[in-house]
Amino acid sequence: MSYAIEITDLKKSYGNTEVLKGISFHVKQGEIFGILGINGAGKTTTLECIEGFRKYTSGTIKVKGKIGIQLQSASLPSYIKVKEAVQLFTKWKKADTDTSLLYALGINDLEKKLYTELSTGQKRRLHLALALIGNPDVLFLDEPTAGLDVEGRISLHNEIRKLKEKGTTIILASHDMSEVETLCNRIAILNDGVISFLGTTGELASKVGKRYMIKILSEDGEKEYSTGSIADSLLKILEEYKRKNITILDLKINRGTLEQHFIDIAKG
Amino acid sequence: MNALLLGIKLQFKMDIRSKTLLVTCYLVPLLFFAVMGGIFTSLMPEAKNTLIQSMTVMGVSMGALAGVPPSIVEIYGTDIKKMYSANGIPMYFGLVSLFVSAFIHIMVMGLIIFAAAPIIFHASIPSNLPLYFLALALFIIVSLSIACILGLAVKSQAKLTMYSQIIFLPSIMLSGIMFPAEFLPKILENIGKLFPATWGYILLSQNNRSSSAFIPLFIILFTAVILNSILLKKIRSS
Repeated sequence: MSYAIEITDLKKSYGNTEVLKGISFHVKQGEIFGILGINGAGKTTTLECIEGFRKYTSGTIKVKGKIGIQLQSASLPSYIKVKEAVQLFTKWKKADTDTSLLYALGINDLEKKLYTELSTGQKRRLHLALALIGNPDVLFLDEPTAGLDVEGRISLHNEIRKLKEKGTTIILASHDMSEVETLCNRIAILNDGVISFLGTTGELASKVGKRYMIKILSEDGEKEYSTGSIADSLLKILEEYKRKNITILDLKINRGTLEQHFIDIAKG
Repeated sequence: MNALLLGIKLQFKMDIRSKTLLVTCYLVPLLFFAVMGGIFTSLMPEAKNTLIQSMTVMGVSMGALAGVPPSIVEIYGTDIKKMYSANGIPMYFGLVSLFVSAFIHIMVMGLIIFAAAPIIFHASIPSNLPLYFLALALFIIVSLSIACILGLAVKSQAKLTMYSQIIFLPSIMLSGIMFPAEFLPKILENIGKLFPATWGYILLSQNNRSSSAFIPLFIILFTAVILNSILLKKIRSS
């Protein structure tokens, strides 16, 4: 199997604080790999170390081929036109001028618009177009659909799928579980500087299938319980309410969602 | 055209689209020239001998110190710098393209004053023109290098306005363009010598090749280049 990215025992410390505590994973060529984690889990640090933005303390990082980076928070000078930005980035990347990118991302009719006149979605598309100049083998996307409306998200998801079909390896950092479920082949969930889950979304889904959410509304308020063994848990919970003499007003049992499972894993 | 030249060309266009640089490099200095030129020459007829120099020093200081730093902060104080870096654009690019573009705009403004002053106010033309334009180019470069320090060191636009004024106002008041520097108290005269405007005015006004006024400007330039390099390195590592 050929890997586009190989990370082995990656560690990163800021002073005495160890942010990454020896993480290892690999990304196959042509797959979409998701990196998830709550804020402060080490997601951005991991990405920045792989992208070469940040020096790491120890470990090895191997990335094959040219990389393209779409940052979560990015900007361009207010008075640059879309066409000029593409020209400028093409020159610096020593790439061939290719306006098909603008057509593919649906921003070809914005060529003469100033950056400041673009909507959030249009800016995201432009940033993606700029990251794709020079046909990178590996593409890093950090929260690519943050701030987009539903239509914009769906459209951008379609573009990401097309890139995968072309053989581009994509690393997607996100805390949006539904986005990851829709796009990624495999995911790593980071928690406090370590990988607490590594596998396919299918494997994650099979775990989720075994979990249930019990929601109880009582005179004391609403409480939620997450459990893998519904019969035992329900019995214990009901006995507890009976022992405390609290009246139950409503009771609901749902299968756990991927999002709930992500929260369970990400928060340890 | 290589990437750096294309970047400079685009920056030049962006500066024209952005009203800030047009106001600080053309509108305010030329308005000041039109109003103060009339007042100076009618109150003190001998002001005609140094009108081109004094109005040019004012315009260069205004364009560089008030006009350029906000554009630098727009790049180095925001995500633009990260965007450039992520796409393989070197850290110096933003600074160099802004510097060269601003140099051209400020030089054009200086040429307008040079051409208009003799016609409108019968101002005297400097006798040694090559020396005058060499001195003007050096003065613009030194002023822009100070502007670059401001833009790289200060991250917020609000604070920048304050710091720009802290440098701009004494530059103008103590440089000798409003009234002779030798009339100032000694301490203010000496403080004035810390600013490039004072040496720029001396250099633009002299007609011989004395190196005495070149040296301070070169010292300020050398110091500014070192400081700019340190600030850029600091920004890159952060």
